[in-house]
Amino acid sequence: MTNARMDAMAVMFPNNYDNMIPEFTEIRQMGSLPFASRYRIVDFYLSSFVNSGIDNIAVLTRKNYHSLLDHIGSGREWDLVRKNGGISIFPPYAIKNIGIYEGWIEGLASIRNFLETQKEEFVILSDAHIVMNFDFTKLIQYHVDHKADVTIAYTRDPMPEEVLKEGDPSKGTFYALDLDDEGHVTNIDINPRREGLLNQSMNIYLIRRKWLIDIVDKTFLRGGVYFVRDILIPALSTLNIQGYLYEGYSSRITDMKQYFIQNMKLLEGDNLSRLFSGGPIYTKIRDDNPTRYKGDSRASNVLVADGCVIEGEIENSILFRGVKVAKGAKVRNCILMQDTQVGEDADIEYVITDKRVTVSGGTKLSGSESFPIYISKGHVV
Amino acid sequence: MGKEMIAMLLAGGQGSRLHVLTQKLAKPAVPFGGKYRIIDFPLSNCVNSGIDTVGILTQYQPLVLNEYIGNGQPWDLDRLYGGVHILPPYQQASGSDWYKGTANAIYQNIDFIQRYDPKYVIILSGDQICKQDYSDFLRFHKSKNAEFSVAVMEVPWEEASRFGLMVADDDDRIIQFQEKPKEPKSNLASMGIYIFNWDILKKYLQEDEEDENSENDFGKNIIPNLLKDGRRMYAYHFNGYWKDVGTISSLWEANMEVLDPEKSGINLFDENWKIYSRNSGMPGHKINPGAQISDSMITDGCVIDGTVRHSVLFSGVIVEKGAVIEDAVVMGGSIIKAGARVSHCIIAENAVIGEEAVVGAMPAKGESPSQGVATVGSGVYIGDKAVIGPDAMISENVKDGEQR
Repeated sequence: MTNARMDAMAVMFPNNYDNMIPEFTEIRQMGSLPFASRYRIVDFYLSSFVNSGIDNIAVLTRKNYHSLLDHIGSGREWDLVRKNGGISIFPPYAIKNIGIYEGWIEGLASIRNFLETQKEEFVILSDAHIVMNFDFTKLIQYHVDHKADVTIAYTRDPMPEEVLKEGDPSKGTFYALDLDDEGHVTNIDINPRREGLLNQSMNIYLIRRKWLIDIVDKTFLRGGVYFVRDILIPALSTLNIQGYLYEGYSSRITDMKQYFIQNMKLLEGDNLSRLFSGGPIYTKIRDDNPTRYKGDSRASNVLVADGCVIEGEIENSILFRGVKVAKGAKVRNCILMQDTQVGEDADIEYVITDKRVTVSGGTKLSGSESFPIYISKGHVV
Repeated sequence: MGKEMIAMLLAGGQGSRLHVLTQKLAKPAVPFGGKYRIIDFPLSNCVNSGIDTVGILTQYQPLVLNEYIGNGQPWDLDRLYGGVHILPPYQQASGSDWYKGTANAIYQNIDFIQRYDPKYVIILSGDQICKQDYSDFLRFHKSKNAEFSVAVMEVPWEEASRFGLMVADDDDRIIQFQEKPKEPKSNLASMGIYIFNWDILKKYLQEDEEDENSENDFGKNIIPNLLKDGRRMYAYHFNGYWKDVGTISSLWEANMEVLDPEKSGINLFDENWKIYSRNSGMPGHKINPGAQISDSMITDGCVIDGTVRHSVLFSGVIVEKGAVIEDAVVMGGSIIKAGARVSHCIIAENAVIGEEAVVGAMPAKGESPSQGVATVGSGVYIGDKAVIGPDAMISENVKDGEQR
C-alpha cells in the first residue's frame, strides 16, 4: 500500500458505556461527557482521526444524542465539512427488523448501504469512552506490515473496579486480549475478573471495509448482535487478528470515581502535556474572552478554560468555560463544568458540578475523593 | 437584491509608530487583549450590527492578515452573497497603482461595492479598539436624511488640536471641519468612521480622482469638498470606549485598560456584544503550585509557575519558576524563563526572555505610567541575565549578559 494515511474511514459508536456513568448520561452520552476543562470525550476521537488524515467519519447514535448533535454541529471545528466524506451522523431510526441497535452488528447492518458506497479500503470501528491522542497512521501501518485481517488496539491497564465487582453494569463491554509472541490475539476474555495489568482492548478495530460488510451480512442473518462475541471470537483460530499496543497517554472513564480521578490526573506532573503533545485537539468554539483573575484571587494547581472570572481561591481543580468564583469563595479538589457559579464565601471540596450549576453564597459542601458530590445540570444549591 | 449597507475597512496602514510590532505584519493584525487582533473589533462590530459584507483594503505586509481572515468563518462572515473579502491593489487594463490615499483605496474598489449595489457604505478604520453598534449610527444617518455622517467623540478641549474636528450646529449638522487646528472651535473629534450614501460617495470619489492636486484622502479632500458643496453632513455622537492604538504607549495602555473594565469601559466580557477571533485550539491554561496570579488575564495554552501581576498573557505563554511579570503585555507563544523580570513592557509573539534577564522597569513615582514602555519584537531571543531598559525597542537577539 502506498498511502496509509488516506485509506481508512471511521465508524463510531458513542453510546456503549453510558450505563457506567448513569449520573452524567441521563442528559448525554459517554461521547459528549466534558473532560479536561474544555473538551468532550468525542473531541479526542474526532481530532485523532482528522490528525491522522481520516476525514470520513460516521457516528451511530442510539439515545440521548441531542447534546452530541449540538456539540458536533456541521463538524466544522474538526475540519469535517467535506464534499467527499466529512462527518455523517446517523440518529437511531427503528426499522422493523432492527429496532434501535443493541450491538455493533445491528448498527453496522443499519448503515450497510452507506458502507457499501464508500471508497476507503479500511474501516476503523470505535467507541468513545477513552481520552487519548491516537496516531491512527501507526495503527494502519502496523496492520499492513503484519498482513492482519483485523487489528485491535489495546492498552496495558487493570480492569476497572466496577467490572471486578458483582453485578457490574458494563454488560460485557470490557475485553482482555491474550497475545502470542507474534502479536496474534489467541484469546479474548469478556469482562474477566482478573487483577493486575491486562491487555485491555480500546474497542478500536481496523478491518478491510469489504470484508466487514460480508461478515456483518452473514452474522446478522444468523442473529449475531455483538461484534466481539459474535464475529471476532469465533474467528480467532482462522483469521490473523493482531493486537496493537497504544503507548500514548490514555484515560478510561469507567465510573464517576474514575471520571474524577482521570480529570485530576491531568494536574499531576507532565500528564497534561503528554495528552496534548500529539496533534491538536479541536472542540466546539464558544468565543469566550480570556479568563480574568481579579484582585486578591488565588490559584494553585488548576487547569482553567477561557471565560472564567476568578475572585476567590481555587486549588487542585479543573474549571470549564465561563465559571465564576466570587470573592471569598474557596474551591478545592473540584471539577466545575461550563458556566458554574460559585457564590461569595461558599466553600466546596470534592464536588463535581454539571453545566450551569449555581452554588449559592456561603454554601459549604464537602465530598471525598472516592465519593465526590455530584450536582446535576442547572441545579441551584 | 442590493444590500442596505456594506463596510469598507481601511487596513493598509503600515503602523510605523508601532515599530518592531509591525515589521512583519499590518497594524490591524497586531495582537490585542489576550486572544484578539485589532481587526477583530471592527469585524465583530460589523457582524453584531447586522452588516454581512465587508471589504478589507490591504496593502502593507498582508500575509499574516490574509491568513488570519481566511474565509471569515470565525466572524460568521463566510456568506454565499457577501461575506468578507480581502481587497489588495490590483492591476487593471489602464495600469496598476498602489493605494495612494484612503479615498483612492475605496475609489479603486468602486466595482466591488457596485456588485452589492448598497444604499449606504460605512468606512471603517483598522487601527482602533472600539465596541460600536453601527446599526444605531445608520439609524441616526437615516433620521437626519443625511448624505454623509461621521462618528465623533467629545475630547478634552486642551487636546482638541491633535484631532480632525467637526463644528456642528444644534441639530448636529456639520458646518465646518478643522484638521488639527491651532485654535479649535469644537471638541468633537472625528473617529474616522463615516457613513456615506453610496451615490454621493461614488460621485465624490470619481471627482477626487480627476483632481490632480488631490492627496486622495477622506479628511483632507473628500470631507472639505462635501462641505464646500453644502451637502447634508451630520455628526453622530459616540460616547463608549474608543482608542486609537497607533503607538506603543497607547497599545500598552489599552491592554492595561482591559484589565479594569469597570473603570475603563472596555468590557470584553459582554455576552451581548461578543468579540470574535480565530481560536488558538490549545487546552485550558495551567497554573502550577507556587504560582501567583493577581489582576491579570490569562488564556488557553499558558503554563504559569512564576508570578504574574496586572498583566495580559496571550495563548501559549510559558512563565517559569521565579519569573515575575508585572504591568506587561506578553503575546502568544513567548517564553519567560526562570527568574526573569518582565515589567512595564510589550513582548511580541514567540519571543524568549532568558533566565534572570530583566526587561523594562516600573516607572518611577511621578512619571506618567504610559511612558517608558519597553518593546521586544516577535521571535527575538533575550539572553540570560541580559538587561533591557525602559523605552528600549528590541528587534534583534540580545546576547547573554548584554545591556540595552
